[in-house]
Amino acid sequence: MNQNEILAECNKIFIDQLDNPSIVLKRETTAADIDEWDSLNHIQIIVAIEKRFKIRFTSSEIQNFKSVGDMCDAIAKKVTA
Amino acid sequence: MSEQMTYILSEISKQNPLHGKKLKKTLSALKDYEQIADHVIDKYSALLKKQGRTIDYGIDCYLKMINDVTYESVQFIQSGKYTSTSFEEVNKRVYGNPEIMEYYMHGLIMSTVLWRHHYHIYNFFVNTFPKYTKDVKRYLEIGGGHGLFVSEAMRILPKDAAIDLVDISQSSINMAKGLIDSNRVNYILHDVYKYDKDKTYDFVTMGEVLEHVEDPLGLLKKIKSLLKDTGTAYITTPTNAPAIDHIYLFNNVQEIRDLIHKAGFEIKDELVLPTEDMTEEEANRTKTTLLYAAFIK
Ligand SMILES: C[S@@+](CC[C@H](N)C(=O)[O-])C[C@H]1O[C@@H](n2cnc3c(N)ncnc32)[C@H](O)[C@@H]1O
Repeated sequence: MNQNEILAECNKIFIDQLDNPSIVLKRETTAADIDEWDSLNHIQIIVAIEKRFKIRFTSSEIQNFKSVGDMCDAIAKKVTA
Repeated sequence: MSEQMTYILSEISKQNPLHGKKLKKTLSALKDYEQIADHVIDKYSALLKKQGRTIDYGIDCYLKMINDVTYESVQFIQSGKYTSTSFEEVNKRVYGNPEIMEYYMHGLIMSTVLWRHHYHIYNFFVNTFPKYTKDVKRYLEIGGGHGLFVSEAMRILPKDAAIDLVDISQSSINMAKGLIDSNRVNYILHDVYKYDKDKTYDFVTMGEVLEHVEDPLGLLKKIKSLLKDTGTAYITTPTNAPAIDHIYLFNNVQEIRDLIHKAGFEIKDELVLPTEDMTEEEANRTKTTLLYAAFIK
């Protein structure tokens, strides 16, 4: 799976979890760009990503997610590993 | 919002923007917030000052605790279980580990003014406890942690009441000593299961400890044995609340009530607090934390 495909899958998950079909993720997207994204639904988003890609993040990986790009990189490392 | 709370929130938002957003939503809905939050933070700041620290240390600890809770929450949703299963393990990894225990207890006291359920439970205790204190001569708190509740109890109890505080963690005892700053309290480093003072106390408080043990019924029975026949206890414990040191999973509030009854207690006053803006049923269905508090006899 390449980075674009990972980003597209994450986009679907964000739309689904935040219940907002107009979300368009970019690698640079951060908390500041998406109003309804907060630490509560972030947990659901992480769970959905883990399920979709059949991966498990470590605690320090989760802590270091500062942007959507960080998340995609962490996913890429695990799906290709 | 007061200047110091504004500072705390803006620092949290800088360091963890997702969590900052969540807090802004939660806190804007709390009643009497400014005055109560300031009271708690003033008390906590006095401790920090004595330690040569500033509120930045508290913010840092709180955010570390939030990272732990986030990770534990993900594991909980995935597995339906808490990650820790034995007291032995938690005692070694958390209570007996100053590095973790210290940021945990500093983070926890901050949560009194940052988490909706902790804010409400604090108010519930401070407002309801006076109803039960008239004839209290001997008071015990089990697992006092940071010491905030003991410090409030000390203010409310009759002036001649003796106050004992039992905690298994040296880090908690140290922090409580500093926060309470009074030699009226007897600080006792002990495992409550091995603390034998039968029928001694008129009142026993035990906030958020029941979920930390393998056998909560045994612990409730222990409280019963520590109380005089006329005594009252105040206990709080959450359902579906993943944390690094939680062992026993209550799936809903009824399980807690059933256990209280099984230990031979009657419920006098109670409060069920969803952590988020949802009903009890919704919280149970989505396995979202509820905090339960009760005065029992
Ligand atoms: C989550 S803190 C609760 C702090 C405070 N009571 C509150 O409600 O916020 C739990 C405390 O219980 C203590 N504790 C856990 N197991 C214990 C045991 N078996 N005996 C005595 N204290 C215990 C821990 O050291 C910790 O300080």
